Amino acid sequence: MSELLTRAQDAVRLAQSSGAQGAWASASRSRKVEFTARDGELEKVQEDTSRSVSLQLYVDGRYSSHSTTSLTPARLKSFVAEAVELTRALAPDEHRQLPDPALFEGVTETDLKLVDGTIASITRDQRMAWLKELFEGTRGHDGTISATTYASDHQSERAMASSNGFAGAYDGTQVWVGAEVTVQDEGDKRPEGGHWLGVRHLDGFPSMQAVGAEALKKATDRLGSVQGPTERTRMIVDPQAGGRLLSYLLRPASARAFHQGKSFWKAAMGNEAFSKALTMVDDPLLPGALGSRLFDGEGIASKPLTLVEAGVPQNVYVDTYYGRKAGMTPTTGGRSNITLKPSVDKDLAGLLADTGEGIYVTSWLGGNSDSTTGDFSFGLRGHVVHKGQLVKTVGEMNVTGNLTELFANLSAVGNDPWVYRSTQSPTLVFDGVQFSGA
Amino acid sequence: MKHLNRRDFLKVGAAGTATLTIPSWLAGCASTGAVAASTTAAPVPPNPFLTWFGIDEPTLSRLMTELSSRGADLADLYFQYRRSNSISMEDGIISRADSSVDEGVGLRVVVGDQTGYAFTEDLSVESMLAAARTAASIAHGGGAEAPVAFDFQETPKFYDLTVPWADVGIASKLPVLEQVEGYAKALDPAVTKVQIWWNDTEERVLVADLKGHVHTDLRPATRLWVSVTATKDGETLSGGANIAGRHGFDWYTEEQLRLVAKQAVDRTMVLFDARRPPAGTMPVILAAGASGILLHEAIGHGLEADFNRKGVSIYADLMGQQIAPDFVTIVDSGVIEGERGALNFDDEGRECERTVLVEEGKLASYLHDGISARHYGVDATGSGRRQSFRHVPLPRMRCTYMEDGPHTPEEIIASVDNGIIAETFTNGQVQIGAGDFTFYVKNGWLVEGGKVTAPIKDCNIIGNGPAALKAVTMAANDAKLDTGGWTCGKDGQGVPVSQGLPTVLVSELVVGGDDV
Repeated sequence: MSELLTRAQDAVRLAQSSGAQGAWASASRSRKVEFTARDGELEKVQEDTSRSVSLQLYVDGRYSSHSTTSLTPARLKSFVAEAVELTRALAPDEHRQLPDPALFEGVTETDLKLVDGTIASITRDQRMAWLKELFEGTRGHDGTISATTYASDHQSERAMASSNGFAGAYDGTQVWVGAEVTVQDEGDKRPEGGHWLGVRHLDGFPSMQAVGAEALKKATDRLGSVQGPTERTRMIVDPQAGGRLLSYLLRPASARAFHQGKSFWKAAMGNEAFSKALTMVDDPLLPGALGSRLFDGEGIASKPLTLVEAGVPQNVYVDTYYGRKAGMTPTTGGRSNITLKPSVDKDLAGLLADTGEGIYVTSWLGGNSDSTTGDFSFGLRGHVVHKGQLVKTVGEMNVTGNLTELFANLSAVGNDPWVYRSTQSPTLVFDGVQFSGA
Repeated sequence: MKHLNRRDFLKVGAAGTATLTIPSWLAGCASTGAVAASTTAAPVPPNPFLTWFGIDEPTLSRLMTELSSRGADLADLYFQYRRSNSISMEDGIISRADSSVDEGVGLRVVVGDQTGYAFTEDLSVESMLAAARTAASIAHGGGAEAPVAFDFQETPKFYDLTVPWADVGIASKLPVLEQVEGYAKALDPAVTKVQIWWNDTEERVLVADLKGHVHTDLRPATRLWVSVTATKDGETLSGGANIAGRHGFDWYTEEQLRLVAKQAVDRTMVLFDARRPPAGTMPVILAAGASGILLHEAIGHGLEADFNRKGVSIYADLMGQQIAPDFVTIVDSGVIEGERGALNFDDEGRECERTVLVEEGKLASYLHDGISARHYGVDATGSGRRQSFRHVPLPRMRCTYMEDGPHTPEEIIASVDNGIIAETFTNGQVQIGAGDFTFYVKNGWLVEGGKVTAPIKDCNIIGNGPAALKAVTMAANDAKLDTGGWTCGKDGQGVPVSQGLPTVLVSELVVGGDDV
């Protein structure tokens, strides 16, 4: 660890000796091992160690950013010299400043449980055993064409240093496992289902067999899928699909988008723009969560940020540069973990039972949204819900609308967050949503 | 300003390559056969790519021996150096530049259906040998015969630049961004913000395989992106456009720059009058050019041979069958000069080609990499591509397009009673096995009674691949390639691609719209 911090500090000094008045450097190193098997037989093994240095330069009131994996001292030196020279060609920008050192203070004393020390010693036999158990879980369906199983483990180390006093480092571990199953349907259709989970600590996993079985279930759930209806109705979004919807909602929640006139959040700030059911927090301090961190990429000490409180947008992501440009106080430049406060004490099953009529969305296919207006349109897969029961498997349909209106019509937030992603969506229920299909 | 160009960087670099010049590169790219390690007579200058990566033929041979020491049907070394330069303009000033250097070697060994892979960014012999041992551990047999001498293949010239990007300084690029901003602002007083993003990239690639073939390539790429925000009567809207290809600085003519600025402003201003189309199933006219996204999603991915070899593509049992009307011919080509998807050879060191995927409506070929070509007993189609040295090659598209059909765009529009024209797109996706595909329409038009009546915006379109191809009822004689740049994602790897289409009518697709 200290070796990486030294590397970052050396890069800062190198930038200064090359003519930069200010510099921010980051040095990272990671190791990844990935095993893939198909139908129970090992198909691919990839193992590697990676490292890089990145550098942000402040030269004569000008700014640029650089990264390299070519780290021999001579190459690094010439790379930095060239980068400083290049920076001088740019226009000066008064808003480009190193982050305020006051924001470095207050790093949490809590153990964020970013590292599972046992991951470094995972053996080949252990990985092979996981693949076998994952595969076992995918079995039991006669129409299976192919089952692919994955297991990968990562160890990462990162250190950052700046010319205005920042020095910090942290490690992290992650393990990802998953399975993907393709089954034969009528005609040429071969629906696929996949299930992947990521954790920082091995003890966070359910059984590997259950992961495989869930992938098979997702594939067989697609059998007999028909084109969904064109109608306006209730939409129930599975926790595993909710993250993508929240990501689109959050995309324009930044000082940058505000300043560039590309955010539907700007007019909504401080108003009850969304449903009272929506309280959303960016929480970098959740122990063991995938998006947790001690500080962000600018060295700003992590703390929870309330984005929306009872339907009222309160805060957005503000980094140093766009904070200065837009006259906003820096919060943090990027997303960590997203958590939602439940509006009801019910999970997916309970909310489905309450639904009556609607469409239950299990996953999205394509689609996009306009960050300036909030207009969106997504393809989806799921089931028609009738009297609280799943009665028909549907696909080849879209949902279309406006994100502000959609989240104004959020009628329930479940108590079942999907914790195997950093955006921890629970079940979400929206009323009066426009679907298009047959 | 003193401009430190790439050659200057080399001179002070560690590789000891002070003598490299542009002429030596030009000569070196097509340089001849193997250089024996023990040459004592008139010394043959080493291949400049070997010099660049600080390696020699004995090192290649050692690495290949280690890599294939436990057996190999295929094995390759993929050395890559990638330098990327970006410049951003915002609020009237160019105050940010970004650069990156990414260098390393990927080592792959394939035994039967099994692949062992490792990479390292440290090009020391020890580190590369360690990576070779790691990759080789997949196999358990006896050693394959590794080459001791290497045959340097001639490199075609599908993107031969007069001036390499390494020799274009930032001072030349800055006025281009200013020019584009000026054009965009002058086009409409409602334009309040213009953001411009520039990128030029140069890659050096050396691929050596088990047969002792070495391919070397200098791959340029560039892209200019213009994003516009406009405010009219209290409403703020934004849009954008980009142009991209494997071109040099001289490609950015005034005409090109005016075109991309106009596209960005036009696509934004039309949004003020645009509405959502009606929701449901209807005829969709795909405008010539960018609509090639239809082919990419509806059929292109489904014809990548890895999916078919594994039986997981909806097209797995359709080879040779009529899957579209006989006026439909679909091609995936790696050999169109200057295209973003062009390649002098693929990332396994195989010759690229023009692969006919669908010939007069019949399914004619998959896209093959080395593994699938062995599986099917056919020649590879030069479709083995990878994002970088960190990734294994996979069968991928290059430049996918449909050839001219028998109709005219006017006939097609006149034939539609109630439908839409899809014109610009932001993204698409497909499920390989189920066949459902989507693409997102940013700009388009409503067609009523055979006439174009109003602009539309922001609708996702979804269909099923084979059904959509059968529903291609008309294709016009105006085929063209998109001028914008696309990046295709698969298994976590992004590669640059191009696409094109003539005006095409698909009689039924699901349009994500508002109920009427």
